[in-house]
Amino acid sequence: MGTFSEGIEVVETAAGLPLHLAWRGGRYTLAAEPLRWYRRRNWWDEETRAAPGTGAGLVDREIWRVQVRRDGGSRNAPLLTLDLVRYLPSGRWRVIKIHDALTETVEELEPGA
Amino acid sequence: MPKFVHLHAASAYSAHYGVSWPDDLVQAAAADGADALAATDRDGLYGAIKHVQACMAAGIDPILGVDLAILDDAGQGSGAGPSRSRPAPVETGRVVVLAHGGRALRAGAGYAALCRLVSAAHARQQGPVGLTLAELAGGVLDPETGEPALTVLVGPFSDVAGAMGGRRYLAPRTRFAAWLHAMPAGTLAVEVVSHFSEPGGPLSTTRAVRMLKLAEEFGVPAVLANAVRYCTADDAPTADVLDAARAITPLGRLPGLQPTGQGWLKSGADMHRAGREIVGQGGYGTAELEQLWANTLKVADKCRLDPAADLGWKRPVTPEAAVLGLSQAPARELWQRAEAGLSLRFPGIGGGRLAAVRDRLTMEMDTINDLGFASYFLTVAEVSEMIRGMGVRRAARGSGASSLVNYLLGISAVDPIANDLLFERFLSRDRSTLPDIDLDVESAERHNVYHRIFERFGPRRVTLMSMQNGYRARGAVRDAGLALGMDPEDVDGIAKQLWRFSARSFREALVEKPELRDFAARVEQAHELGGGTQLDLLVDLTERLDRLPRHISMHPCGVILGDATLLDRTPVQPSGLGLPMSQFDKHDMDPMGMLKLDVLGVRMQSAMAYAVREVVRLHPSKAEVVAAGRHPAGPDGRGPDYVGEDGRIDLDAVPLDDEPTFELIRSTHTLGCFQIESPGQRELVGKMAPREFNDLIIDISLFRPGPMKSNMVKPYLENRHGFAPEHYAHPDLKPALAETHGVTVFHEQVLRTFHVMTGCSLSHADEHRRRLGNPEQEPAVEAFFRTSARAKGYGPETIEEVWETLKAFGSFGFCKAHGAAFAMPTYQSAWLKAHHPAEFLAGLWEHDPGMYPRRLLVAEARRMGIPILPLDVNASTGSYRAERTRAVPGGSGGNSGGATGGATGCATAGREAAGEEVTGIRLSLADVYGLSGTELKRIVAGQPYDSLADLRSRARVSRPVLKRLAQLGALDSLQRSAQQATGNTANRADLVAHVNSLPAPKSGRHNEPMEGQLHLPLGELELGTLPARLPAPTQAETVRTELDLLALDASAHLMDSYAPLLAELGVTTSDRLLGLRNNSEVLVAGVRVATQTPPMRGGRRVVFISIDDGTGCVDATFFHEAQDRSGPLLFGTRMLLIRGLTRRTGPRGISLQALEAWDLGRPETLPGPGCLQDPRRPQDSRHPAPGKPEPTVAGLARLMESEGLDHRTGQAAPEGACPAGLVGAARNRYDQGGPQQPPYVAWTRGHT
Repeated sequence: MGTFSEGIEVVETAAGLPLHLAWRGGRYTLAAEPLRWYRRRNWWDEETRAAPGTGAGLVDREIWRVQVRRDGGSRNAPLLTLDLVRYLPSGRWRVIKIHDALTETVEELEPGA
Repeated sequence: MPKFVHLHAASAYSAHYGVSWPDDLVQAAAADGADALAATDRDGLYGAIKHVQACMAAGIDPILGVDLAILDDAGQGSGAGPSRSRPAPVETGRVVVLAHGGRALRAGAGYAALCRLVSAAHARQQGPVGLTLAELAGGVLDPETGEPALTVLVGPFSDVAGAMGGRRYLAPRTRFAAWLHAMPAGTLAVEVVSHFSEPGGPLSTTRAVRMLKLAEEFGVPAVLANAVRYCTADDAPTADVLDAARAITPLGRLPGLQPTGQGWLKSGADMHRAGREIVGQGGYGTAELEQLWANTLKVADKCRLDPAADLGWKRPVTPEAAVLGLSQAPARELWQRAEAGLSLRFPGIGGGRLAAVRDRLTMEMDTINDLGFASYFLTVAEVSEMIRGMGVRRAARGSGASSLVNYLLGISAVDPIANDLLFERFLSRDRSTLPDIDLDVESAERHNVYHRIFERFGPRRVTLMSMQNGYRARGAVRDAGLALGMDPEDVDGIAKQLWRFSARSFREALVEKPELRDFAARVEQAHELGGGTQLDLLVDLTERLDRLPRHISMHPCGVILGDATLLDRTPVQPSGLGLPMSQFDKHDMDPMGMLKLDVLGVRMQSAMAYAVREVVRLHPSKAEVVAAGRHPAGPDGRGPDYVGEDGRIDLDAVPLDDEPTFELIRSTHTLGCFQIESPGQRELVGKMAPREFNDLIIDISLFRPGPMKSNMVKPYLENRHGFAPEHYAHPDLKPALAETHGVTVFHEQVLRTFHVMTGCSLSHADEHRRRLGNPEQEPAVEAFFRTSARAKGYGPETIEEVWETLKAFGSFGFCKAHGAAFAMPTYQSAWLKAHHPAEFLAGLWEHDPGMYPRRLLVAEARRMGIPILPLDVNASTGSYRAERTRAVPGGSGGNSGGATGGATGCATAGREAAGEEVTGIRLSLADVYGLSGTELKRIVAGQPYDSLADLRSRARVSRPVLKRLAQLGALDSLQRSAQQATGNTANRADLVAHVNSLPAPKSGRHNEPMEGQLHLPLGELELGTLPARLPAPTQAETVRTELDLLALDASAHLMDSYAPLLAELGVTTSDRLLGLRNNSEVLVAGVRVATQTPPMRGGRRVVFISIDDGTGCVDATFFHEAQDRSGPLLFGTRMLLIRGLTRRTGPRGISLQALEAWDLGRPETLPGPGCLQDPRRPQDSRHPAPGKPEPTVAGLARLMESEGLDHRTGQAAPEGACPAGLVGAARNRYDQGGPQQPPYVAWTRGHT
């Protein structure tokens, strides 16, 4: 069990890629090409409805792995790697994984958070 | 935006895999700007024709392919020779195979290669459907030109991609090298797909990149695709549920679920982004993306199909003249045969009549020859004649009876001129599709007939048609529950409450249908508790599964006949029968120009043939048959001509004016008679009181959803009985409508009405009729009708009235030719019941043709006073046999079954004095639970037996079966004869106990007596000295045993044991209802025999429940309020107590309007005696809902479609619609009739 996931503000590019982040009081900008994939969900355990017309986003969730640098930080500081999830249809983002040299925390979230 | 073509897309016709309909996929692709789309269903071309149709409608090019498994038969060693125990081949992966179109190749060659390849994939004797690499490689070239005819896409589900996990380098390359080595040049491409799953996993971008690099490395073109399973992202969860249903495993325990939900038909823009991401991750740039894109379009171009050139779209194909044995042109041959038929069918006519017949013939022949269908008619005639030659009963059905040519060729037995049937209803120049000619044959002979057709035309030219079976509510809720991992019993309980509505409207139904009240309350309760949300999901998933194809099966009657190219035009696969079956269904026949012949197995035909054989077996001479059946004396006083000298009855020659037959029909005791045995029909024949054959045609045509719903029945009956004057909108219409007293009943009348009032030709009139009821086409018909009728001088009121009739009725009415074809077996079955009831009932028991469980027909025999002879190892065989027996006063068994309640027309009734010989029916061993076919054969072969030991040693039945035979009284005769010798007084219970205590028979051959060695006559000793220890079984126990082991209550009626309870409650029996006043309040009780939800006026559902109480049937009608009071009892309960009001339906008919119902099996819930006097009892408060709009015809059509109420396709039960995948699976004995309409609730047998 890890800690709870955290909300994060994301500014997206025109193509829908994350660009700037606001998290834990700091501002960050992407420093490398982000990696995107989808993770499968056991929607039958997590959801209460699956009515026709509401199925998008039920089977998988969009995950982005971003490497960011704190705005105004040193160019030599190591990049911070975060796994973000984007919820549909709200379009909100949360941090679900912080890649750390020492600890690694992972969080599964309640839907629609 | 760059244009994109999807080359890999499964439709819903990939059963338990694809989610979306071809139409939706094509429309989505076209809307996105694509100019082509592929359909690549799994294992076949199941959705191909629908796809092509949709593409043509959307104006884009169809591409066809298949998603096939590649098999590895590793056991086939090199040079090891044919090994006996070769392991079944295993699936190594799946690839897509696409057909090349006529632009790249000889027209049709690609599609033909695809058909052949798919058929080959299904032809394997053992193992999964699929091909080995070598087999695939052997099928991708056009055999004529040697050019590539197919392109194979090695993609994300191939063995190559499968070997890419874990960053292995060598394995995928070795496998791909094998592909390259095996496949001819120009037939291979690499399919690059990413569903953006977690990096490194299946369908991840990582793997897509590896595939792309592999293609580059080996110099094979790579194409971009999305392995589509559904149209939109919304459908992704449905794919999960289908995966669970396919694997029969709950989602929570299912390995290999789609890793993401990205397999939808993505737009060109989405695909371009995906391509960029893949190329980008591979470290490539724009040039590579453009190459990938261009390769995709290049393959697409190569595979564009031209429906006409490549598939032979809509071009009718019939067997070659040489195969039909023709030495001249088909048109000439047809003329000659029709001419020959003239003198046979119309002997000795001349003058005006002959001229009329000739005119009609010339008209029909002109049309047939204009359409080029002569060889079609000759083909059907050939099949029909072949069946006749086999000695099998056959009858043409459907609109084919409208054709004089069919009558002259012997295809149809109905004279279309005498019966006023219109050829235009059957075939016209305005419709160029092949007409339908349907042949009914004895169900028991259907398979033989199929085999003979295959022999006659050759397996290259014949295949069976298939049908798609889609999810309906019950199956959908079961599979949805399975996917969710719910308790199967719980789900089953819910499923049983679902009664004929489409799964799509499940949530709506929860609110509306009283029988779902309990379930709705559970869903509601779960909401309140905030848990148990599975029920909500269950409802949603059930709705998602609605109508999706589940499996393909043999169509109950369709046989496809073609020329030697048939198997280049349809893929085939094995059917349950062992004969090949096309992957196309009836909707695909017209587009593909395929000649489909419906050869329907009709159990009633088998039952009648059986009855005729039984009559002649018991009465082997003309005199005996005439006496037994009380037939008229005939021309020479020795009996009628239709009874042969040997006693054989020619049913088809029986005159259609037999008074005892009509008397039987009017009595409404028509259980077992074709088409007129349902509760609604019994009510209708009671009201209508048919007097002649044409009345039967009208009766059958009236009992259809259209006439019933648009209330045409009442005015017809009132006019017929002279209660109301006949009314014609205009005197000109009188000739067309007179036979039905001014009421429009038949399609033929609609055609004539159009013809008279607008002056259009009859064939145009039929085109107009077909457009009625179609919301898009009807307005044009209306405009035409009004304008033309006005021009002919008809007044506005007449026009208005006639149009209203046409509109309400045209789309629903019944083709008179159908009615005439149906009326024939109806009349014949009633004739048999009137004259040879025991033999007829024996035929019904044997072939089980009707809508009711067999036990009701046993009750009918009891009611008619026909002795039911018990099982007896020395007298019973594998069939229900008629048997001469001494009449017992008061009928057989415990229940007095004498002539009750007007059992008229029954030849035995009234003649049965004690001791006189009558005909009874001997029960068959075939339906003893657990008795195997081989045991049965041994028992029958060894008859008679003189002792139990004799039976044991020679019949060698298993001990459990021996015990059951003892329980059922089949050993009573052995016991009786032993006891006569010894005076022993042991009873059946003692015998059962004795059989039970016998040691299990030792297995092994050395125990068998040697040839010539006789068993010791110990039998008499054994049964003659049984200790009499146990009380004899009560009658109730005996009946219980019979129901459990035989599914029949043979020795007494099931209800008899309730007699004291029912007497206390003051229950009225069925035979006494007729003596009551209309609107009397009564209690009735009985066993449920049928449940129907027929279409009714006003759109609200009405439930008909028929119960049988031993004296006859009571038909109870539950309107909305009574349904509400009865709730879950409506569909699940077997033994019912019903309170209701009598409703007189005619001189001989009475039914019940139910007010309330109880479950007899739960005594604690029953009302007490005197409940009919209880002032608090609920009353009938039904009154017409004010202001409720009458439903429109189109609305009704939709409703009926969605609830499966439209029975117009015919009521006769086609035999054996068995899903291919379910052969051998346990099936309820009552549901073997396939799509029998309407259904009934069969109670389940409680054997343990």
